[in-house]
Amino acid sequence: MSIIKQFSIPTLNDTPIDFDKLCELGDSVHDANSDVIFTFSDCQFLRPNAIAFLGGMARIVESKGKTVKFDFDTAPDKVLTILGHNGFAHQFGHSVFSGPGRSVPYREDRTELIKPANLRDDVIDYLSNEWIGRGWVHISPRLRNAIVGVVWEIYDNAFEHANSSIGIFSCGQYFPRLRILQLAVADFGIGIPSNVIQYLRLHLPAEICLRWAFQKGASTKTQGTRRGLGLTFLKDFVNLNHGKLEIYSQNGYALVHDGKERFQNRKNSLQGTIVNLTLRCDERYYYFADEPPVGPLF
Amino acid sequence: MFKLKIADLVGEHCVTSEDGQKVYDQIVPKLQSNEKVCLDFDGVSVFASPFFNFAVGQLLKNFSPDKLNGLLHVDNLTPDGTSVWKRVVQNAKEYYQNPKVKKAFDTTIEKEAEEK
Repeated sequence: MSIIKQFSIPTLNDTPIDFDKLCELGDSVHDANSDVIFTFSDCQFLRPNAIAFLGGMARIVESKGKTVKFDFDTAPDKVLTILGHNGFAHQFGHSVFSGPGRSVPYREDRTELIKPANLRDDVIDYLSNEWIGRGWVHISPRLRNAIVGVVWEIYDNAFEHANSSIGIFSCGQYFPRLRILQLAVADFGIGIPSNVIQYLRLHLPAEICLRWAFQKGASTKTQGTRRGLGLTFLKDFVNLNHGKLEIYSQNGYALVHDGKERFQNRKNSLQGTIVNLTLRCDERYYYFADEPPVGPLF
Repeated sequence: MFKLKIADLVGEHCVTSEDGQKVYDQIVPKLQSNEKVCLDFDGVSVFASPFFNFAVGQLLKNFSPDKLNGLLHVDNLTPDGTSVWKRVVQNAKEYYQNPKVKKAFDTTIEKEAEEK
């Protein structure tokens, strides 16, 4: 008879303490190496970063030939509403209503199951129609497309660098009182610090690895051509928007907020990377940085 | 002149390195034979740097900026697309014209790590 281990999901926001809780939960589930049931009785709220992470963690358990069940009957109404609206409950077998509400759908991208061109278009459509294009902030189609192009960089980094066999997991939410729009993207791949250490062949602390990765032109991929602008574009956009970009990767943490960057080593480590993007839904903070400089193309 | 309609080749989203490589593969033989090339972005709505890194950034490995300015033209590239293009080209130029930039940066990081 197989053993089923039960794990209680706590309330999970998106502060560093909540990421510690996610790491600890991930470690416990990993160590259990058994069939798993998650309960929600201790959970009052889940932010998108937690939902994306939980979905990926469930797929990791399944990839080891074990079963996973989320006991949605234990979830308080508020939590069940969130998980219903964003489709997470439906994805994991619950027949609860689903519908958009103020949620941005939970999404799984399994790179091995889908053609790259379809993946590209699916993600762009998701960002355009389910995330920034839902009317929570009134912007022109041109600006929307520009923002989608910038946020695509998060996915491109995950697809290109993480090498996550489990896939990429996304979720978002609009918070009307705070007037913020969030998007969380989690992968369970190699992690930025490990990638940088392998590339530079130096044993560096995670915070230094993240600092390196944030520099314009820094990339651990050298085939083909010069790269490494993705995080620069994201950073610039977040600063224009007065938003916040947080990256938790293994035991490294990067924060872009209020025009400043901060890098830290953390005690807890998670498998892979979670990018947490918070945008202000105030039209004053959405504009083009500048018109492109005139002059020759090269 | 060789005119390449980008939307026909990769669709309306120019965001991936794979799609950029497709464009590069089409235009390099033309540029090598000194044929003028026009990239027509009509119908393209979303741009991201991985596409331009491969479509045009890597041209600077083998062609000078002067030669590319003489041979390569664009039509219907939006201001946002132009903005991404310019930053990608600037990044590639810094790298290909001065590889020491990269080495210097890696050395700085190494020193910083040693001081921690």
